[in-house]
Amino acid sequence: MIEVRNLTKRYGDLLAIDDVSFDVAKGEILGFLGRNGAGKTTTMRILTGFLPATSGSAKIAGFDVFEKPLEVKRRIGYLPENPPVYPDMTVRGYLRFVSKIKGLAHARIPGELERVAALTSITAVMDRVIANLSKGYRQRVGLAQALLGDPDVLILDEPTVGLDPIQVREFRDLIRSLAGKHTVILSTHILSEITATCQKALVIRQGKVVAFDDLETLAKKHQEQDRVISLEEIFVKLYEN
Amino acid sequence: MRNTLAIARKELSIYFTTPTAYAMFGGMTFICGLMFLAALGYFQQVSVQFMSFQQPQMLEHLNLTDMVVFPLLRNVGVVFLFICPFLAMRLVAEEKRNKTFELLMTTPISPWEIMLGKYAAALVLMLVAVVLIGLFPLIVSLFGNSGTMMNSGAGTGGVLDWGTVLSGLCGLLLVGSAMMAIGMFISSLTESVVVAAFVTFAILLVLWILGWQAGRLEGNSRAVLDYLTMPTHLEAFVKGAPGLKDVVYFLSFIIFFPFLTERAIEAQRWG
Repeated sequence: MIEVRNLTKRYGDLLAIDDVSFDVAKGEILGFLGRNGAGKTTTMRILTGFLPATSGSAKIAGFDVFEKPLEVKRRIGYLPENPPVYPDMTVRGYLRFVSKIKGLAHARIPGELERVAALTSITAVMDRVIANLSKGYRQRVGLAQALLGDPDVLILDEPTVGLDPIQVREFRDLIRSLAGKHTVILSTHILSEITATCQKALVIRQGKVVAFDDLETLAKKHQEQDRVISLEEIFVKLYEN
Repeated sequence: MRNTLAIARKELSIYFTTPTAYAMFGGMTFICGLMFLAALGYFQQVSVQFMSFQQPQMLEHLNLTDMVVFPLLRNVGVVFLFICPFLAMRLVAEEKRNKTFELLMTTPISPWEIMLGKYAAALVLMLVAVVLIGLFPLIVSLFGNSGTMMNSGAGTGGVLDWGTVLSGLCGLLLVGSAMMAIGMFISSLTESVVVAAFVTFAILLVLWILGWQAGRLEGNSRAVLDYLTMPTHLEAFVKGAPGLKDVVYFLSFIIFFPFLTERAIEAQRWG
């Protein structure tokens, strides 16, 4: 579903990502790990067509993100680092606007709004102005926006920031329920989240891929004698080397 | 087309659910009201003076179109100079500040559609402004009495020459549209609405006062300055006799700056 080949991005002298390659099969959930500034957001922005890569290629559902950007954009739902909401609009008005620019058929919009609102538990705030919502609600409105139109691929940049523990649990259930039908890439600092929701993890350090494997394989690889090692320890280890 | 409409409707809903549009239009009509009263007062004073001379042929030259509507519409251009930077400043800059620009650029919608939607919303705002301004001539024609004070307008029926008034309102619409086009382009270059408003205001002010220098010059340089300055062309419309060059002057802003805006939006991803 997602094919990334030798992707490199430079901002002037700064090498943000360096020769990154990975694949995500349909229905898989990939956890994207790395410290701040490791290149997670840059990679996601390239995948969504927001930024062009300096070299290398990325394909989503067989379409090159650079050559066929519209085809790619029709198939992805993207939650950027900061939820892209208009503070002056109501949640309903905002979601209706996003449905329209995503090209959803007119008749489908009201039902689709109800569906994503239920999935992200924002039904109660649908008619409130976004500026008056808490950070957690705004984050969920951003997530609802990404789910509109039921896209095949979801790219979520730190989706659980600002959520309370109950909401985090609901979010994990939501992501797990998407597995199989949807392909998801999610980035996070919270390692327990990866173990709870993802099958695969990609660890990136200073723009380079340092580990890309199934969680089980990763655990086996780094196993010390008989002791089962946690993802956190693996992460620290990868960053120390 | 659908995307363009969705963008335009979103922009308008933000303008009209926040105080922005109301504050701007309220301020504008208040200032125009003051100008209108001043022009009416002057008209009255002059009429009374002329009547005391007992010279009906002088009174014939006095009419509400030239004495009240002409100075009003010409001065509204200056009011537009102040409100357009504030109306246009948020058009693109706010998308970047809110990070919603990332949303627009990752949905299947082209920079052309984004720009056209935003400019369409700006044109609707200007249309509303011009309709509000049109209320003043309407008041004159409803309450103005052509029979008692002067005999001139009586033959044609109304107290106002509506052809001239409408031409003036069209001129204002063109001035506003040109100003919004410049404002939208400046807004697409920055993330700060304050910078966008200030730079737009500076550019518009230069276009407005460029003509002040023209008086000291001669020949071609004078003609060029006269052509570049906005009030020259607005006045042609307000007088009721716009030429092709006046139309072309405004249309060149209305076409060129939206085109540049589209380029600037597209260029963001390469930044």
